[in-house]
Amino acid sequence: MKYAFFPGCVSRGGCPELYPATIKVCERLGLELDGLDKRGATCTGAGVLQEKNLFLGDVFNARTFAMAEQLDLPLMTICSTCQGVMSQANKRLKDDADYLARVNAHLALEGLEYKGTAQPRHLLWTLIEDVGVEELKNFVIRPLTNLRVAPFYGCYIVRPTDALEFKLYPEREDSLERVMEALGAEVVDFPGKTRCCGFPILTINERNSVKMVARHTSDAKDLGADALVTPCPLCHLNLDGYQPKAMQQAQRDIDIPIIHLPQLLGLAMGFDAKEMGLSRHIISAKRVLSKIKVPA
Amino acid sequence: MLEHDVLVVGAGLAGMRAALAAHQRGANVAIISKVHPVRSHSNAAQGGINAALTDRGDSWEDHAFDTIKGSDYLGDQDAIEYMCTEAGPELIDLEHMGVIFNRDDEGRLGTRAFGGQQRARTFFVADFTGQAILHVLYEQLMKADVRVYEEWFVLELIVEEGECCGVIALEIATGRVFVIRAKSVILCTGGLGRLFEPSTNALIVTGDGIALAYQVGAPVMDMEMVQYHPTTLKGSGVLITEGARGEGAHLLNKDGERFMQRYAPNMMELASRDVVSRSEQTEIDEGRGIDGCVLLDCRHLGEALIAERLSQILEIGMDFAGVDIRKEPIPIQPGMHYIMGGIKTDMDGRTIVPGLYAAGECANVSVHGGNRLGANSLLDTVVFGHRSGNHAADWANGKPYRDLDVDAYVDGKEKEFSDLFSSNTDERWSQIRLDLGRAMDRHMGVYRDEEGMQSLLAMLPGFRERFAKTSLQDKGRVFNTDLIFTLELGFMLDCAESIILGGIERKESRGAHSRTDYPDRDDENWLKHVLVTRTDDGPEVSHLPVTITKWQPEERKY
Amino acid sequence: MQITVSVRRYNPQDKENPSYWQEYSLDVEETSSVLDSLIKIREEEDGSLALRCSCRSAICGSCAMRINGHAKLACNTKVSDVAEDGGTITVEPAGVMPVVKDLVVDQTLFWDKVRQVSPWLQPEGEEPEAEYLAPNSDMTHLAGVMACIMCGACVSDCTVLEMDPNFIGPAALAKAYRFAADPRDDEDASRLAALSEYGGVWDCTRCYECVEVCPKGVAPMDRIMALRDKAMEAGYTNNNGARHTDAFEASVSHSGRLNELTLPIKSFGILNLPAQMSMAPVAVRALMRRKIPPIIHKSVPGVKNVRRLVESVKEEQQGEGE
Repeated sequence: MKYAFFPGCVSRGGCPELYPATIKVCERLGLELDGLDKRGATCTGAGVLQEKNLFLGDVFNARTFAMAEQLDLPLMTICSTCQGVMSQANKRLKDDADYLARVNAHLALEGLEYKGTAQPRHLLWTLIEDVGVEELKNFVIRPLTNLRVAPFYGCYIVRPTDALEFKLYPEREDSLERVMEALGAEVVDFPGKTRCCGFPILTINERNSVKMVARHTSDAKDLGADALVTPCPLCHLNLDGYQPKAMQQAQRDIDIPIIHLPQLLGLAMGFDAKEMGLSRHIISAKRVLSKIKVPA
Repeated sequence: MLEHDVLVVGAGLAGMRAALAAHQRGANVAIISKVHPVRSHSNAAQGGINAALTDRGDSWEDHAFDTIKGSDYLGDQDAIEYMCTEAGPELIDLEHMGVIFNRDDEGRLGTRAFGGQQRARTFFVADFTGQAILHVLYEQLMKADVRVYEEWFVLELIVEEGECCGVIALEIATGRVFVIRAKSVILCTGGLGRLFEPSTNALIVTGDGIALAYQVGAPVMDMEMVQYHPTTLKGSGVLITEGARGEGAHLLNKDGERFMQRYAPNMMELASRDVVSRSEQTEIDEGRGIDGCVLLDCRHLGEALIAERLSQILEIGMDFAGVDIRKEPIPIQPGMHYIMGGIKTDMDGRTIVPGLYAAGECANVSVHGGNRLGANSLLDTVVFGHRSGNHAADWANGKPYRDLDVDAYVDGKEKEFSDLFSSNTDERWSQIRLDLGRAMDRHMGVYRDEEGMQSLLAMLPGFRERFAKTSLQDKGRVFNTDLIFTLELGFMLDCAESIILGGIERKESRGAHSRTDYPDRDDENWLKHVLVTRTDDGPEVSHLPVTITKWQPEERKY
Repeated sequence: MQITVSVRRYNPQDKENPSYWQEYSLDVEETSSVLDSLIKIREEEDGSLALRCSCRSAICGSCAMRINGHAKLACNTKVSDVAEDGGTITVEPAGVMPVVKDLVVDQTLFWDKVRQVSPWLQPEGEEPEAEYLAPNSDMTHLAGVMACIMCGACVSDCTVLEMDPNFIGPAALAKAYRFAADPRDDEDASRLAALSEYGGVWDCTRCYECVEVCPKGVAPMDRIMALRDKAMEAGYTNNNGARHTDAFEASVSHSGRLNELTLPIKSFGILNLPAQMSMAPVAVRALMRRKIPPIIHKSVPGVKNVRRLVESVKEEQQGEGE
């Protein structure tokens, strides 16, 4: 399978370990990636641009969709936030032909046109819907037995369910758990798995943002999880980067590693820690590695 | 000591409008309500509020005539004249307070057509007009900082030396009993729909205020006039607004025929409610229904209009009937909806008990007579809520509070409660309420006769006996809904008595009171009100003439 | 269908065991709502179960509670949508607000927040004799917000309120929007100023919980975003939230990408030294792990196209503004 790949800003910015890990894992899975970043695709707006200029955000995303259409490839992302923002933009564009025409008038400057056929999908969904859980198991050469992992989705890949088409694809609701189980890991269900990590208000109300980090990481820890796994690099930035501050604020020990989804896949597929960039996290992943007997 | 110049019981449109009026008159006013104000049943009024705006070429006389004709000439014409002349100013007041009424192309208030009226004079907010007005009145209440006893349940009116001077009430959250002293009390407790099963009415609509007044000897009037709404969902009784027909929806029988052409060739689906409900019931009874229902067809109205003006109905159809009204007709049947009768008041809202007022559905100032027009109920609540608020405030002005033996009242109630809490039988409110409701629907429904009503009357002592033996399963005092429902059932039994007696008394067919054994209207003998008053010797039935100003009774055709 | 309803009970009068789960097994119609099931329990099995409910048609807002972990109205949630035949439905009281008994919560906090936004129309000048003139499109737009039935589902599941009771919260902010967007209201400036403070519109995390759980399609978060836009338009930009959004737009419009290095610095305000310093330990830790964005912010390939696009969109938007 070949994909028009939208990596998002953070996978090569604040989480530079994510991009190379994804490339390696996708290659192993036989998912060929044509990077839209190299073709000049812009940021989705992350919901921030949208609060000031929704229309500009929709124009940017329509442009990305049009690029994927031009390549005649399905569109794949590796960021929950990108997924949500693109899905919402896509819904607005598809639901209203006049609106789409208004957007296309601007895209025409570059000779682009969005026809309304794109279906942006996160790697997580691709694993379920294209690769298939059973097929995924065939790639596992190092089952993650004994590893207790808690899912952390990131808001935009679970809400609003309407734009994310959960009715059409009900398995999206617990896709992360399905993948974790296919890799042999034990799933630790916890109430915070679909809550907000706090990242969007980090620079606005740091106390609340860090409190969210503390709540979710310590809840997962207290339920016996060895690590949190997330398909969202923004959640990773906060849950990992601000966990030391969360420990300070909550005055307790937490220290739970946050693993990107592709990293978890990579470990189960036999890649080593360095290949997956696991040394680049703020919270050391050593405990996870020793549990599955991988040298740090 | 809890005390207020004016205490309003109930926080629907009538109650909040009354409280605001009394507040503006300078009275120390409070509202007591068994639910938070925005939970009140005025929410459910979907279609709109009638007003004849003269700057739009309409006239209050036309509105009055439609109302009088709709009432089957049982409405008091002086009260109707007042309501119709005040409609414009009241509507504009609501708009100034912030209600987001639908507009026409020039940005002025827009109208839709409603049943039983010769021109479109119904002002509306999508199809949730009642909710939109209720929430705005609550905004005004917050602005005025009026005290609300939220989730307090009134147990009894206090009447001393013939004057109403407060209430005994239960704070639901704690289960504690209090006396609230007041110089005047305005009952705005709404209808009694749950006395019928099924009903369009919310579960809280249990006739509390009507029974409270009846218990202290205030007469109730024309209680036999019970409105069955033409479009309710089977089983649950959930309401489909008349606005749907106002926007052009059709009624079809099982053969796909628009059967209203045989009953009301001019007004068709927009004939008055009693007429449409009877026509539907006849179709169903004569075998042209589908599973006890007829069909309401909205498909030809188009998706855009449905989305803008009937959005709630679209939701209700999906949620409660599993029907997409854009794609298929929805099965509906007549269902109990409203009581035209109520506590007899004068135009100022006064009952015969000094200090006791009533407004809105629980009252009968007699603007609806034998049948209420759609969108006249909201108007009734604000017009007479406003006026009774003014008068209750004036009555209280300068009057001293009466000395009350608070402990005696509280202890008396506590004694009753301790008997109830210690009762251990299998009898519960829920089964009695269901049996009573089904019997009322069967014998006091769209069609009635002597035999049915007499058999119902004969059942009442049995219901009362079972009620006296009721036990509670919740023995605690904190938020005890088991207790509340039991108390409400007591109120409902009193309401049932007056409805049945009124029905038996009126030996003709008029408005919603349609007797198969007396199928015609009889102006010679029955152009009069029927009153029921509780006395020490039991209920007494009496009559009062109907006030006629300038519209003489005519044959009613739509 | 056969279902088990597992209810989170709470009875403050029972000092030893106030809180527990109780299971009820019952047979219900396919079309039944969760509320129908609870009413059936209350009427036929256990009269001590406390809950609020009234209209049964999603208009009174009494019966918001958590069903299978998420806030919903019990009356418009079909049993068959939340459980299979033979399955279990969990029912808990709404979150954030304290429980009075069983499924009944104390909504004082909810209404205090509504009061906080001065929720009444404040026109200026003399009232017209007739109605205020207003475009129908504005009124129908506001109908989307007035459709709010104050059930508290959004407050129950708000991610921020759960952490910080100072947040005005989704319902009250949607109510504030109803006035800020009402052409008859003249207090926009003071409203927007107040809403730009701590606890106001910028404290929302944009997590979409409120949009997802709202049973009336009010989309409170979208209203909060619209309030942010209005506040910035009205010049209330001297706060981290507005600076963050401005910097974001500038970065993306200029380079097609987000500049993660300068974004937080610009959000705090360049001169806000204490805030800048507080970020230092985080930055140092990230530096040691090489977990940082490239120091040199690179634009996307063909950024000229992006800039031209931005220009074209802004031209259109300015045209509309005039």
